[in-house]
Amino acid sequence: MATNTRSSRRRIAGTMVVLFAIIALFVVKLVDIQVVRADTLSAESLGNRSVEQPVYGSRGDILDTNGVVLAGTVMRYNITLSPRNAAEFDRTTAGGEVTVTVAQAAAEVGALTGKTGDSILAIISAALAEDKNSDYAFVAKAVDVDVFRAVDKLEIPWIYFEKNPSRVYPDGAVAGNLIGFVSSGGDAQAGLELGQDACLASTNGVETYEKGADGVRLPQSTVTTSQAEDGGDVVTTIDSDLNWYVQQVLAKQAQATGAAWGTVVVQEVKTGKLVAVADYPSVDPNNVGGTANPEDRGSRAFTASFEPGSTFKALTAASVLDAGLATPDSKIVAPYRYLPPNGANVNDSSGHADLNLTLTGVLIESSNTGMSKFGELLSDQQRYDYMTAFGLGRPTEVQFPAEDSGILHDWQNWDNQTKYATMFGQGLTTTALQVSSIYQAIANNGVRLPVQLVEGCRQADGTMSEVPATAGTQIVSASAARETADMLEMVYQKAWLSTKWNIPGYRVAAKTGTAQMPDGHGGYTHGYLVSVSGFAPADDPEYVVSVSLADPVKLNSSAASAPIFQEVMSQVLKKYRAVPSGAAAPALPGTW
Amino acid sequence: MSDNLARVLRPNWDNTPASVPAHDTRHIEIVATRDQRQARPRIVYALSAVAGMATIVVIQLLLSVGISQGAYEVSRLEASQVELGRTAESVTEDLVRISSPQSLAANAEALGMVSNSNPVYLRLSDGAVLGAPASASGSQGGAASLVPNALLAGVPLVTQLPQGSGQGASVGGSTADTSARTAAVTPKTAPNGIPTPATR
Repeated sequence: MATNTRSSRRRIAGTMVVLFAIIALFVVKLVDIQVVRADTLSAESLGNRSVEQPVYGSRGDILDTNGVVLAGTVMRYNITLSPRNAAEFDRTTAGGEVTVTVAQAAAEVGALTGKTGDSILAIISAALAEDKNSDYAFVAKAVDVDVFRAVDKLEIPWIYFEKNPSRVYPDGAVAGNLIGFVSSGGDAQAGLELGQDACLASTNGVETYEKGADGVRLPQSTVTTSQAEDGGDVVTTIDSDLNWYVQQVLAKQAQATGAAWGTVVVQEVKTGKLVAVADYPSVDPNNVGGTANPEDRGSRAFTASFEPGSTFKALTAASVLDAGLATPDSKIVAPYRYLPPNGANVNDSSGHADLNLTLTGVLIESSNTGMSKFGELLSDQQRYDYMTAFGLGRPTEVQFPAEDSGILHDWQNWDNQTKYATMFGQGLTTTALQVSSIYQAIANNGVRLPVQLVEGCRQADGTMSEVPATAGTQIVSASAARETADMLEMVYQKAWLSTKWNIPGYRVAAKTGTAQMPDGHGGYTHGYLVSVSGFAPADDPEYVVSVSLADPVKLNSSAASAPIFQEVMSQVLKKYRAVPSGAAAPALPGTW
Repeated sequence: MSDNLARVLRPNWDNTPASVPAHDTRHIEIVATRDQRQARPRIVYALSAVAGMATIVVIQLLLSVGISQGAYEVSRLEASQVELGRTAESVTEDLVRISSPQSLAANAEALGMVSNSNPVYLRLSDGAVLGAPASASGSQGGAASLVPNALLAGVPLVTQLPQGSGQGASVGGSTADTSARTAAVTPKTAPNGIPTPATR
């Protein structure tokens, strides 16, 4: 009996030890799984089930003033393939299972993507040559929905798709130079795309969900790790239809006269808004590569400055009138060559006998010597102050990317010739926008308004942010501005181009300019920049049109730009239903 | 009694017996033992608990079957929503593309229209003609647009579309139907030659 008890005790003890050992083992394993490796394991298990995918926020649109989309975002698809998995497969068709070889599949995809089957086979073999386990190679980038669907329908198991939000410009080159473009990677490169990137840019989000073995998303498993944010829409002041017309007219005349480039600016007098800015050559943002010269891809209206020439005389005349030192009827004698006491040498463009001109006559004849005699009534500093007040020497309020400020040296640094040259638009440079702005101020009773290209950034909730300031500045008195406008009307009626820019039914104020173009090395090229700037209806000005043509080799005078002014101004007046002028323009004598 | 209160023990004055053992008929019944008393409800509880659990399991199963069925439904509908979204986007793109000024101008010219930017107005109050009427100088740049649009490559003009695939057909109505409707609204020609639309 005693031995029995002893052995059973021993057995119990042994069992206990084994039991504890097993429990200890389990505890250790449990702690290891539940505590030590818990995070890794659960992440791993989630990784097997969960799918993480980007949620694309869409880049904002660029709209014209009527809401027409000038730049929008569309979804495009990249077609990719897995080279290592490229093998023949069975396809179920109406007639049963059909085996499709790699070459056949490649030919099918090639036909849809505009490539050859061989080139796709080459992509596969090139990728495999580089890496035997290659799992990723591009077939085609940014194909549209139709191609995507057609390729998807082929059900080739080793073909995959990626979303690729892309930019599209429905109106092509209409305002293309203003809108700019983005790179294939979606980075803003030029124009408003670049300048307004802060408004347009979107933020992509991430969404994670779990899927079952059959690929179906498990209910309630979607976790949005970060929310996608859409960009805001940039609303511009441009009218796309008018801009198209202006570009068409400009391009036609630029090609007819062999011009190197040209710009036309149409600005609203009473708001300072730019309703059309045309550049020639135009860039089509859908096909930037089609514009070979990189300089043609921007907007020269903003980025190219030039000596304005005689269109600038309107500014000098307005300044002299505002200072009360002359009236439109003030009389001077304009010689062909004027040698002021400081040693400068001023010539008119063609030889003539002494002319008895009024200030009006000086503008009609566009006499440099006559304008010098009026301009010298003001001190250099006074004239410099008027010029800066008119917006010269600094970029406009638009803040277009790479916008040129023009060159306006301090009046202390003007040499004797520059002191006189700056009276008739030489010795300083302006952009087409600055010239347009000068005429806007004269047309608007001397109140210069900020140049406006963007009305603001419209957020998803409809609120407008970044609305530019619209407060104007009185630069010259209303009477000085009115008198300048009256004189410019006489120019329109009596100058040598009066038959070329006639718009029946309307009173128009305009002035031509012809200036030598700098060659960039301190000298001048043989070419001229010919321009016309003006506004209408002159009795109640509503629109400024400013035309510049660079180096029109076949017609090297303002006669090249006048027809553009006439056609554009006619279209603007008709489009906006400007009421034809009633009373005739006040007649001002040009000679005495 | 461990308290220190004075107590008077009530004497048994009338000497009545505390309990009178009446000669009533004794009612005898078999009392279930405590174990037995507790055993019966236990079975009921167990059964109802098991049944409840079974019900819950069944309901949960049905529910999860329903939800996964719903998941497939949702997944199918989402896929079709995505597809429809793509279709809408692609069609909108086509529409926007052909609404571009280049496309409109080229089509208008193909149909024989000529642009005339000469502004002339007729004042209704007194019939005065404002501006100087002049005939159009000609087509605006011709069919070759000077303002390129790469998106329009390969898009045919209205005049180049094959017969029968015109607007009426693409809008959706049958051709016969459309022509009948068109016939009904054809403006009547007035004696003086000015067409007057049949407005109601």
